[in-house]
Amino acid sequence: MNGLEHELRALAPLVEWPEEPDVAAVVAVRIAAPRERRRPSVRVGVALAVIVLALAVALAVPPARTAIFDWLGIGSARIELVDELPALPLTAPVELLGEPTTLADARRRAGFPIAPPPRSEPAPDEIRVVDGRRVSYLWRDGDRIRLLVTQVPGLLQRTEVLKKLIPPSVRIERLTIDGDGAVFLAGGPHAVFLLGPSGSFEEDHGWLAGRTLLVDRGSSTLRIEGDLDRDQAVDLVRAMTMT
Amino acid sequence: MHQAIAFRVAFVAAGDRGDAEEAVQDGFVKAHRALGRFREGAPFRPWLLRIVANEAHNRRRSAGRRAGLALRAAVAASGDAAPSPEAAALSHERRDELLAALATLEERDREVLVDRFLLDLGEEETAAALGVRRGTVKSRTSRALERIRAALGEEDGS
Repeated sequence: MNGLEHELRALAPLVEWPEEPDVAAVVAVRIAAPRERRRPSVRVGVALAVIVLALAVALAVPPARTAIFDWLGIGSARIELVDELPALPLTAPVELLGEPTTLADARRRAGFPIAPPPRSEPAPDEIRVVDGRRVSYLWRDGDRIRLLVTQVPGLLQRTEVLKKLIPPSVRIERLTIDGDGAVFLAGGPHAVFLLGPSGSFEEDHGWLAGRTLLVDRGSSTLRIEGDLDRDQAVDLVRAMTMT
Repeated sequence: MHQAIAFRVAFVAAGDRGDAEEAVQDGFVKAHRALGRFREGAPFRPWLLRIVANEAHNRRRSAGRRAGLALRAAVAASGDAAPSPEAAALSHERRDELLAALATLEERDREVLVDRFLLDLGEEETAAALGVRRGTVKSRTSRALERIRAALGEEDGS
């Protein structure tokens, strides 16, 4: 790079840009609003009912306005607001989380940078991996999964490897953890779907999850589900530093 | 997450804050609706920036005005971080000279330099923002650097 290119790059942090508008709320309402009539649909009645419902939900739950928008922002997790949840298992089916393995093997097969298990917890009871798709740490309490930490590729690698359906009963809180965008879901169950082998979200690849923290770490998206309040979940994230 | 960079790319393309804001709004709504057509595995940000920048360019064209771009050097570095040693080494006079020279460039030259160097976009993202191929970004950058050198009276390339 020559001197002039260096100078232009050096100029970057010194430029005074106009203040950025916060377009999230407007975009969320527009996404929920009926589309223009230019593209008529054969299922207009059904579509309109869904749209009106989505708009009602969006306006009734203020934090949800930004949540609709978060599909663009919280890593590779897509968030959709729904009125009712589908019938799904109440815990994560472990086969969806892949084969049991070691941390070294999981790291090799992940295909994206993963953080080791949190230092603040005992070693996980199981480490599971699906090649190139996800790495999960599980802590068990008898048959129950007490704590589940899953890492999936972030938007820098690919898009939408997690989908969440959020009913109105769930409280959605946006936060920032050391500069990383995050969303904490609590107040009731929501549905989570993992990307299936076909590359789409299949009905049998989901379950109903409780309190969950989603963190966008750029190259990965981190998901923590368990009996944790928001601050405990945040502490757990902070105890998971990349190595 | 992507709002900040999308807004700046739109601002560079539209040359107007209000148009840039509308372009980001419309672009994000269109991106949401087009999500089903997004190719899985492709990088997301260039895709989003292409949609937003296209909206911004359309706005400028329909307004029928030549894109100007009023960039100023801040008194202190933007953001919380201390300025880099390179930034600190640029004298106030040199900052103003560079920004003034950028302002004299033709729109396409200025846009490629601002996207590549001031916004630190990669070649793929710059290509997306300009709506051109990656190879075009290289040639356009090279020509734009020659022209800003000329504007600065430094044609020998040193």
